[in-house]
Amino acid sequence: MTEQKIVISRTRMRFNQFIDGAREFASVYRRSKPGLVGLAILLSFIFTAVFAPFLSPYDPYARVDRPLRPPSNKYLLGTNDIGQDIFSELIYGTRVSLTIGFLAALFTVVIGTLVGVVSGFLGGSVDEVLMRFTDVIMILPNIPLLILLMAIFGRQSYFIMILAISITGWTGTARMVRSSTLSIKERAYVEASKAIGAGDGHIITKHILPNVSPLIMATMIYQVAGAMMSEAGLSFLGLGDPSQKSWGMVLHYAQTSGGWYANQGYPAWWWIIPPGLMIALTVTSLVLIGQTMEEIINPRLRRR
Amino acid sequence: MIEVSWIVKRTGSRVITFIVVLSVIFFLARSAGTDPFERYLSEDPRIPPAQIQRLRARFGLDKPLYMQYIDYIKNTLQGEFGYSLYYKRPVFDIVMERLPWTLFLLSTSIILSTIVSFVVGVYFAWKRGTKIDIVGTNICMFIRSTPTFWLGMILLLVFAYYYPIFPLFGARTPGIQYANTFEYIKDILYHATLPLTTLLVREVGMYVLYMRNSTVEVLGEDYMVTAKAKGVPARSQMFHHAARNAMLPMVTVTAMRFGFMVNGAVLTETVFSYPGTGRLIYQAITNDDFFLLQGAFFIVSITVLVANLIADILCGWLDPRIKI
Repeated sequence: MTEQKIVISRTRMRFNQFIDGAREFASVYRRSKPGLVGLAILLSFIFTAVFAPFLSPYDPYARVDRPLRPPSNKYLLGTNDIGQDIFSELIYGTRVSLTIGFLAALFTVVIGTLVGVVSGFLGGSVDEVLMRFTDVIMILPNIPLLILLMAIFGRQSYFIMILAISITGWTGTARMVRSSTLSIKERAYVEASKAIGAGDGHIITKHILPNVSPLIMATMIYQVAGAMMSEAGLSFLGLGDPSQKSWGMVLHYAQTSGGWYANQGYPAWWWIIPPGLMIALTVTSLVLIGQTMEEIINPRLRRR
Repeated sequence: MIEVSWIVKRTGSRVITFIVVLSVIFFLARSAGTDPFERYLSEDPRIPPAQIQRLRARFGLDKPLYMQYIDYIKNTLQGEFGYSLYYKRPVFDIVMERLPWTLFLLSTSIILSTIVSFVVGVYFAWKRGTKIDIVGTNICMFIRSTPTFWLGMILLLVFAYYYPIFPLFGARTPGIQYANTFEYIKDILYHATLPLTTLLVREVGMYVLYMRNSTVEVLGEDYMVTAKAKGVPARSQMFHHAARNAMLPMVTVTAMRFGFMVNGAVLTETVFSYPGTGRLIYQAITNDDFFLLQGAFFIVSITVLVANLIADILCGWLDPRIKI
């Protein structure tokens, strides 16, 4: 009975610690104006993505009017070359772009953390080999490598795009996690638990991972931004899935199928400008959030 | 001085990693079935199976996988990248025709962007906290968040359609006879202006912030206070004391930039139909031309690795601390 009680109270203690930490984080975060602006923009995009069917005036795949109509009250951002409503396209695109960004970032961070912790914790020749490899992968041109991977495994699939982005994008995270693992490994409490006979697994899961996790969170936000940029580029080059149009895909169609010759040889600006603005706004908001988180985790940066 | 062993180590790790990448791509491609005879010919009923077998034997595809792998590595390292399925010509020749255009874009934008971000970054750091710094850094942050190809599309929209100052596509006017070399250079620069501006804007947006932050860090050092106390003029403080020390992280970053620049080139060349390697990679995917894509990737990667190695050695020479 007592044993069970202890287990419960320990779980509760962990939970309380977590809540306290989150509360403290929120109270510092609230003071940062750029952080709040970024969060507001991101939340409104997430809202748009979740409630896309209720927010979009038309079905993004239905031909609602004549092609290449300029913006009007009826069609806020006009229509594209086959008469689909661009505003609705962008609202649905929010779903696709954000999902890819977050999923790819999640996988990226998992791979990066794994490599970083193993490299930092084991050290020696394992570390040497992994880090040399990481360095060179980092230098290789990313977009051509992604294109090549997608050409091998299948173009026009977002699943494969997410995988490709994560297996090429983990290098930055790995380096960062490695360097903080190195510093945590030397701390007194790790030495202490080693002295009482704790195994490597215990030290990694109980000491190292909890301590690098705030850093991983901030990195992940940046990775979402990076993944969204990669997705936009790849989709723009025509590697996206035509049945699930992301913002990059909308730009791909604007580039390849007549967005440049809308009215008397002049381009359909309403088809070209808005999707890019959406990407830029989302990425900016993510960068603002990431910077604020980084400042909280690493107070040394706050002086600037 | 630079030790030879250090250079050897740097070169060695690059060569080994490149061979690892080559091998991974070979096995991935084979497991996913990019055997051209299976992919393109076996569906055609007019070609007898015996003919396909003969062709496979001729290209060494009937050998066991490890023999094929050895052939592949040997050929690749000898610059033999196979034939393009679309152009019916050796991949190496096609890529080499396109490479100078990309190198021209990349080297020009690297040089220009380094100079501009150096000057602007130091200036922002000097004026830190003022309106111009805040507005400037925010603009840079926004530029950093915009997709390169979209930036290119906007420039094309404004400066080639609405105000037709610059050409819409290409690297030179088609079918023209140049009177002299000067005319030729003028035409090339005229066509390169918009793609170069796209790359420049993005690069400057990125590296102004680097330069600014590293200068701000230097400004807090004791020797800056000393310089001020000595009565060193402001301009001299800025460029001789602060900028010179803040430059080092920037130089290191330059070494890491080349691969990243190639990403920009692929997208920018596609937007402006610029006949470089980047657009070649785009055309290779649209034409389903796997060998051209693979060869272009290898050649571009080798170029990037070599450029990076040179930059790395230069960095080690400028700042011996890196080598530790």
